[in-house]
Amino acid sequence: MLKLEGLSFSYGERLVLQDFSLTLPLEGIAVLRGPSGCGKTTLLRLLAGLEHPQKGRITGLEGQTCAILFQEDRLLPWRTVEQHLTDVLPRPHREEARTWLELVELAGEETVYPSALSGGMGRRLALARCLALGGDFLLLDEPFAGVDPARAQRILARIRALGTPVLLTSHQAPVLDLADRVISLEGPPLRQL
Amino acid sequence: MEPVKQKKSIPALLLPSAFWLGAWQLGAYWVDRHVDGHGNELLLPYPASVLSALLELLPTPAFWATVGTTLLRVAVGLAAGLLLGTVLAGVTCAWTWWDRLLSPAIRTVRATPVASFILLVLLWTGRNTVPAVISALMVLPVVWENLSRGIRSADPKLLELARAYRFPRWKTLGLIYLPSLRPYFLSALTTSVGLAWKSGVAAEAICWPRPGVGTQIYNTKLYLEIPELFAWTATVVALSLFLEWLLNLALSRWKGGGGHA
Repeated sequence: MLKLEGLSFSYGERLVLQDFSLTLPLEGIAVLRGPSGCGKTTLLRLLAGLEHPQKGRITGLEGQTCAILFQEDRLLPWRTVEQHLTDVLPRPHREEARTWLELVELAGEETVYPSALSGGMGRRLALARCLALGGDFLLLDEPFAGVDPARAQRILARIRALGTPVLLTSHQAPVLDLADRVISLEGPPLRQL
Repeated sequence: MEPVKQKKSIPALLLPSAFWLGAWQLGAYWVDRHVDGHGNELLLPYPASVLSALLELLPTPAFWATVGTTLLRVAVGLAAGLLLGTVLAGVTCAWTWWDRLLSPAIRTVRATPVASFILLVLLWTGRNTVPAVISALMVLPVVWENLSRGIRSADPKLLELARAYRFPRWKTLGLIYLPSLRPYFLSALTTSVGLAWKSGVAAEAICWPRPGVGTQIYNTKLYLEIPELFAWTATVVALSLFLEWLLNLALSRWKGGGGHA
């Protein structure tokens, strides 16, 4: 069980979280829904350990590894699609890379560089890289931005089949349909509705 | 997007050279006619005289031994400067205290007149070592500054990705730092080749190691053999351009690798 207790966090003067608490089981797909800028990304960054709360504590993640998909694609312009995957795999197996590309419907684009990908394709590549990295749970920040709803639903169904707990942020209805739980938020400072 | 390189036509290649050759010929003629002592080529020799001096030098084994030795000295200095500059850039960017300690020293090296260094190094080491040491000293700050700027301008979001994705240091270096450094390194290299040549030959002209292109240039001054001075200078320019072309050729694969840096 993931427990966030009395979390406070601010970027300088800008207060993002104030005494925020949340409890949710680490299983299935949980979706964080809320308006832009309400603090969802900050929450994911705190869970990934990229930021540290100024007050409060996070429990239930001890000894677990996570893979985070950032809000931006953060692709390497000098690496091909396939290399993005082999770079994060423990052993650079091309077959395994292909499996992840098939999951996000990018098979056949192995030798292409990111500059030749569309926005949605870049997003799917970033998602495939995050999935290939793997971990005990996945934190996905807007994984389907720029991806058409039908494709987003197919990909999310495949991610669900992997069995890894997922916490993601999204506004898309097809994504919300597949979620085990939806947490509605507003802010800043972030609070649960 | 990288600009597409257009192949230059033969007139486009030859016309600028022909223009400057013509200007030189006219200048030499003007000097010949208007400066006291008609017929002397002390101030500005004719292109034909320089070509004749060069053609006299070219078939002699001594010429090639001189050029080869200078080339070796400059190449050693250039390699040492590149290596040291790269290591120091890495060290000063990785550790603040090393940066505080070394940056003023490297900046001092950059600001110190090359003549002072040549005389100092001549006192400390043998005359044959001076050109390589001077080339290295001139190249080092250029490489250090360019690479330091490159390291500091590596995308922080990609570096955060490397941390979040648990990349080991060698992978972060290979996947993020090195590709980001590529343009900075190439810029440093291009500048360094010319700098190494100029400073190396200047050091030879002051220290007279034998054999050496700089020593020959000094001798031409001593005996007022101005066409020979031009011929040796032309040799240095040609060699510098040749070395630059050779490096570009060797690095073209690296430049093109990925093609998206």
